[in-house]
Amino acid sequence: MIDNESLTALIQREIPDAQVQIVDRTGTMDHFNVTVRSRAFAGRTLIEQHQLVYGSLRGALKDGRVHAVELTTLVSES
Amino acid sequence: MSEQLKTEIDKEIAANTILVYGKGTKSAPRCGFTLETIQFFDHFGYPFEVVDVLENMPKREVLAEMTNWPTLPKVFINGKFYGDTDILGPMAQSGELQTVLAEAFGGAPAPKTTINLR
Repeated sequence: MIDNESLTALIQREIPDAQVQIVDRTGTMDHFNVTVRSRAFAGRTLIEQHQLVYGSLRGALKDGRVHAVELTTLVSES
Repeated sequence: MSEQLKTEIDKEIAANTILVYGKGTKSAPRCGFTLETIQFFDHFGYPFEVVDVLENMPKREVLAEMTNWPTLPKVFINGKFYGDTDILGPMAQSGELQTVLAEAFGGAPAPKTTINLR
């Protein structure tokens, strides 16, 4: 399990301007609905956007702190 | 990266136009997201295969490295990686997925067979 602040920090380490919204889907702090908004997504395909976020979560997914993620990425205009 | 596992995965991807690597089987999915993906493709009516890799950690590791995608399920269509339903859902809404599937299968799906139980 992981708290929202730590999860946000992991994503922002990879994507510094990321605005991150997190919903704990199961109340167990390991199945999350995550929405990330960033300028870094501009010009990337949806799959590349997701790969960027997953890259930041690789360690947390591998060691089991995060079990499952439902991910939405949004391109920030400003 | 295990070359043997990579060869096995390449063969599976080549043999199935739609291939899902998931947790559990088509008839007995063992993960909510795998079930969701099965229901997603059931709706389209094209044939698809599910490979259970829940207990196969080495294979999951190779798959994650190949795709730069750490989670299951993982969907391949016509040999190309399409992520999961977080990607396929929006693609279906925009109509892009229907085009990809029609091209992959060379036309619209065969109508679903109705079984009359009487």
